[in-house]
Amino acid sequence: MHSAVEPARLSLADLSHDDCLIYGIGNVGRQDDGLGWAFVDWLEVAGLCVDAERVRNYQLFLEDADLISSKQKVLFIDATRSPEVSTFSLYRARAELDFSFTSHAISIPSIIATCQLCFERQPEVYVLAIRGYEWELQEGLTIAAKSNLDAAIAHFSAELTETHSGPATRKG
Amino acid sequence: MSRKLVIDPVTRIEGHGKVTIQLDDDNNVTDAKLHVVEFRGFEKLIQGHPYWEAPMLLQRICGICFVSHHLCGAKALDDMVGVGLGSGIPMLPTAEKVRRLGHYAQQLQSHVTAYFYLVVPEMLFGMDAPPEQRNVLGLVEQNPALVKRVVALRKWGQELIRTVLGKRMHGISSVPGGVSKNISLEERDRFLNGEEGLLSIDEVIEYAQEGLKLFYEFHGQHREQVDSFAVVPSLDMCLVNDEGNVDYYHGRIRILDEDKRIVREFDYHDYLEHFSEATEEWSYMKFPFLKDLGREKGSVRVGPLARMNVTKTLSTPLAQAALEKFHAYTGGKSNNMTLHTNWARAIEIIHSAELIKELLHDPDLQNEQLLMTPADNAWTGEGIGVVEAPRGTLLHHYRADRSGSISFANLIVSTTQNNSVINRTVRSVAQDYISGKAEITEGMMNAIEVGIRAYDPCLSCATHALGQMPLEISLFNAEGQIVDAQRR
Repeated sequence: MHSAVEPARLSLADLSHDDCLIYGIGNVGRQDDGLGWAFVDWLEVAGLCVDAERVRNYQLFLEDADLISSKQKVLFIDATRSPEVSTFSLYRARAELDFSFTSHAISIPSIIATCQLCFERQPEVYVLAIRGYEWELQEGLTIAAKSNLDAAIAHFSAELTETHSGPATRKG
Repeated sequence: MSRKLVIDPVTRIEGHGKVTIQLDDDNNVTDAKLHVVEFRGFEKLIQGHPYWEAPMLLQRICGICFVSHHLCGAKALDDMVGVGLGSGIPMLPTAEKVRRLGHYAQQLQSHVTAYFYLVVPEMLFGMDAPPEQRNVLGLVEQNPALVKRVVALRKWGQELIRTVLGKRMHGISSVPGGVSKNISLEERDRFLNGEEGLLSIDEVIEYAQEGLKLFYEFHGQHREQVDSFAVVPSLDMCLVNDEGNVDYYHGRIRILDEDKRIVREFDYHDYLEHFSEATEEWSYMKFPFLKDLGREKGSVRVGPLARMNVTKTLSTPLAQAALEKFHAYTGGKSNNMTLHTNWARAIEIIHSAELIKELLHDPDLQNEQLLMTPADNAWTGEGIGVVEAPRGTLLHHYRADRSGSISFANLIVSTTQNNSVINRTVRSVAQDYISGKAEITEGMMNAIEVGIRAYDPCLSCATHALGQMPLEISLFNAEGQIVDAQRR
């Protein structure tokens, strides 16, 4: 879990505006790496947050700093390997240049910091991290990851918001 | 006791490689190699698939230069269905121009990524700066205004790719015999005039010049280092038009020696008559070479430096002015200074932007004749495509049976063409920076990487794997035992 985070209260109503962004990160061809996209799929099938911009990408790009600069609220959804997250975790991300850049990856805190430095804006950025287990070249979530996705969906479906101690983590 | 130095993996390149350097008892470098240790085997994977899938599937080798693979594959399929350049049939003007537009957009975007994200931090912070500073996030902290412009450039290139190719990544617009869509006036005007959040083409050209200015400043301050770093003589190769100038989409293959004499010029459909590929047990990447000149003398350099060496002129004004200065610097000889690849790349960023502007003003882009339909007996079952990808000459060669099932595929990607010259570059840097030294420093290790990175090698294309890339270095004695190891 990254240091630049804090627990979050967020409902789907908060994201139902045209100045919101919902961004699924992952790869559906890599088993549980598809969790981020699967959450966005659910939103679309359920007809939720229709006014928000929805994006699916394999990874973040530096250009995403530009993308989020025009938004008020942003939700990134990504799979996590972290054993600290038993089902899912919802937290507020903060700006931090963590020098994690490679041409294949850049962190969410670095994107926020780049947005702040280059575009002089900082939207509210939240991260929904859903626990995954398998990352091989195969389509489809594992049963355990699907269960975690369902838990995250249930949380948002009920418009629940909870404050957690430390990074917000559902114990399943 | 002789020692072997290993840099594994090499950072900030596309893919994963490792370097080993063999030292003798006096710490002199006796050998150095770039090993490519991953294997993907796309040439085998495509066999049995319908021929029309090739440009769609094989472009997924890479998330950086996918347009080049897509177009190269499309050119091969033009041949295969009997309406290609291999049959002497020119492409419909609109189809060719739409393909070129996507190609130039890719070149702009790829070069901007390589240059500003990977090379400029090294220029501004120095080769010895700590890795956590020597990257684009260090640049964000030091010069956010520059990064904002670079982000705008890349965004513009990506948006143009999406418009031309139909998708932001792994496009779908090129089909056998042409393209599936043209460029509407509304689409054209977005890129010509810009809109909120999107640059105009004139702003793109203005921003594109920033890279060259940065190179001139850096070169002015570090001339000795830049000019003496890995001077590696090589044959230079690229596609040229009838005037002997680089053509990024189509032409004949021309190879020049150090005195810019033509060593070879041929139709790329005849590449098998001229080229062979050697293999080594220590790398999955092959070593192409001209058969009659042999493995070492017959290896070639491709990419920006080679292209600027081969081409006589560039067709656009700002790029031509820069090229004249580039040519004058070596007094008519080929430029073998590895770090001048970044000079060449900066010129090509400008040239790509100018070429795009020319095309955006071309009314053929709105023409609706997009596709040639082959005659019933036109099927040839074989096709070869070659383009100048951002990193150099790229070749796709397919054969298919009459049912359309692919039975053979051969890809020679730019990084593979550069394999021998990259290895010579590694040896040159190792001899200059490591020979005779008792200890290996971070700066020495990075010098090796700088040499490799000048080629912007896509090991992903040459074999491929994704990668988080920490650096690991190990010292081996002559018996193969590790005597020291470092990781960062």
